[in-house]
Amino acid sequence: MRIWSVIRKCAREQKRDLWVLGLSLVFAPLFVFIYWLFTGGNATTSYAALVINHDEAARFSDGVMHNAGEDVILAMQELTFKDGSPILRVSSISDRDLGETALRDRDATLLVIIPPSFSQTLANAQSGAAEPTTQVEFIGDLTNPYYTVAAVMAMTALDGYAVDATGEYRAVSLLETALGDSAARTEFEMYIPGLLVLAVIMMLFQAAMLVARDIESGSLQRLKITRLTAFEYLSGTTAWLALIAIAEVLLTFAVAVAFGFRSHGALWVAILVGVITSLSIIGVGMIVASLSKTVSQAFVIANFPFGFFMFLSGAAFPIPMNRLFTIAERDIKIIDVLPPTHAVAALNKVFTLEVGLSGVLYELTALSVLSVIYFSVGVWLFRKRHLN
Amino acid sequence: MNEVALQVKSLTKEFGSLTAVDNLSLEVYRGEIFGFLGPNGAGKTTSIRMMCGLLEPDSGEVIFQGGKLVGICPQETILWEKLTCLEQLEFIGEMYNLPAKLARQRGDELLSILGLEEKRHNLASTLSGGMKRRLNLALALIHDPEILVLDEPEAGLDPQSRLLVREYIRSLAQKKTIILTTHNMDEAERMADRVAIIDHGKLLVTDTPEALKRTIGEGDVLEIEILSIPVEQALAIIQPDFPDIQVEGNNYFIRAGGIMEKMSSLFDAIKKAGGEIGEVHLRANTLEDVFISLTGRRLRQ
Repeated sequence: MRIWSVIRKCAREQKRDLWVLGLSLVFAPLFVFIYWLFTGGNATTSYAALVINHDEAARFSDGVMHNAGEDVILAMQELTFKDGSPILRVSSISDRDLGETALRDRDATLLVIIPPSFSQTLANAQSGAAEPTTQVEFIGDLTNPYYTVAAVMAMTALDGYAVDATGEYRAVSLLETALGDSAARTEFEMYIPGLLVLAVIMMLFQAAMLVARDIESGSLQRLKITRLTAFEYLSGTTAWLALIAIAEVLLTFAVAVAFGFRSHGALWVAILVGVITSLSIIGVGMIVASLSKTVSQAFVIANFPFGFFMFLSGAAFPIPMNRLFTIAERDIKIIDVLPPTHAVAALNKVFTLEVGLSGVLYELTALSVLSVIYFSVGVWLFRKRHLN
Repeated sequence: MNEVALQVKSLTKEFGSLTAVDNLSLEVYRGEIFGFLGPNGAGKTTSIRMMCGLLEPDSGEVIFQGGKLVGICPQETILWEKLTCLEQLEFIGEMYNLPAKLARQRGDELLSILGLEEKRHNLASTLSGGMKRRLNLALALIHDPEILVLDEPEAGLDPQSRLLVREYIRSLAQKKTIILTTHNMDEAERMADRVAIIDHGKLLVTDTPEALKRTIGEGDVLEIEILSIPVEQALAIIQPDFPDIQVEGNNYFIRAGGIMEKMSSLFDAIKKAGGEIGEVHLRANTLEDVFISLTGRRLRQ
């Protein structure tokens, strides 16, 4: 009864704060839309590769003069994703310094320099001469995560061409099998799980500040006399915030789908992941509120868990972590206490790797346990500091 | 015999080196208006916060005889700015476990009594200061408490609201036990059946206003400002006829019975000695005089 009254009070207050409610609801959908604009909708990641072709044409065994370097450039250009879009955006240049400047400025990912003897060496190999070898130079910033992908793809094209041109026997052939739909994901689709988790993480601020408003105004003192318990108060507030989170998650999915996002697993499982994640984030928000006396204090304190969630959970980039212990053959790491760790893993599985509910049970369980723990700590702290 | 509604035993609260409430013991009787009178910072609010359970005492206990339903109207207006008058009354009513329908009905009644019926659907943020104070009071009454605690109930009220609230509190006194804190002696005198005077956290005295005033002597008080002659000379003129006198700067507080008849000859004597007479006030004994006699200071000092 009292929990329901708290929910209704929150709803009434929020109704008069449509600006804040609106911003909360459109935050993630707006990011989805902006990202869709940035990525050009269906575009996949295309890596800019520069090539300096010093190669001089040579006569191959068919008696025709070939510039093999130009053939390699063509082979690089013909590498495509499953949807037909090119993997490498290949441009020919003539100046090494210009190329290196482009790499430094990250206008390009890879610079390939084909030597003058490239064609002649291949022609020699075709006629049975094993010596001398020629050296193609790959230049790039190894700290740029795109370099590795671009270099591997360019090497694949180059190596394939060389083997075909020389007719060498290849003892080992490689077969790449893409898990789920990972070969056909657009760049836009790849970022949806992250954006969704970001939207949910942002609930942290709203949760903490909503409760802190009652602390700052003193109205909590009035509630204290009514003998309202911390559990009732925070349950009602959490329930209301969860409703907003559900609306936000649904709206984000709707916008993403409208702009071409495809989930290969069941969408309702992803929504379930989003909702349970939001409960755990709201739980953390309750802890933040418990430690605050004013709204601005809540905002400042909330930045700490926000930073952990964003940058140390593995949601933004992989975090190398040693395992702490093992439960049911699962390695538990320190970052497993952060809900986004599980949320991103679960959403990737559902969206790209086509798993259903059973495939994300571990993540859902972890998120549920974290929700209960964070909420309980929040209630305990709140009772101790504000509603004792 | 008076029935005790609330008993406070040896209540003490310290904040660091400051003893805000020092071994406070008192009894509040059922159906009376009990006033806590003292200057700002005397420990009144701290005392009632402990009585209501909002603050944990360092030692001592508060015993409610019979029911324990308490309503508190804090000194600050504590409202939910984004809720309407009726919505917040409903909300707090439901927090006291009133059925929604009853909370709404009582909310409507209180708004009507306190002159806010036309504002029932207005947000608290749109109310004037006086209206907010009245709504603040309504929130303390929504669950029909047996004991009502009012912290400076007339502070911040416009004259019209003050009158309305005063009348309403008086009407409540017939059915409820009311504890009010104030630093305003007039308010305490007009409203309270009994008054406890508190200073520096210590209870100085408790009694009816009339009895307290009697303790400092019968008669009226003449406040007179005398200029141009030294205090010693002025006292030499006044004291033979009016031995009960206190001096603050150029102001002389003379307490005596039948002072009206002797005023004219007193003024003549002062003027004859070269003194000038500034402001003159003649009034009856007040609780302020009681406070001065107990502490040597005025309430507002």
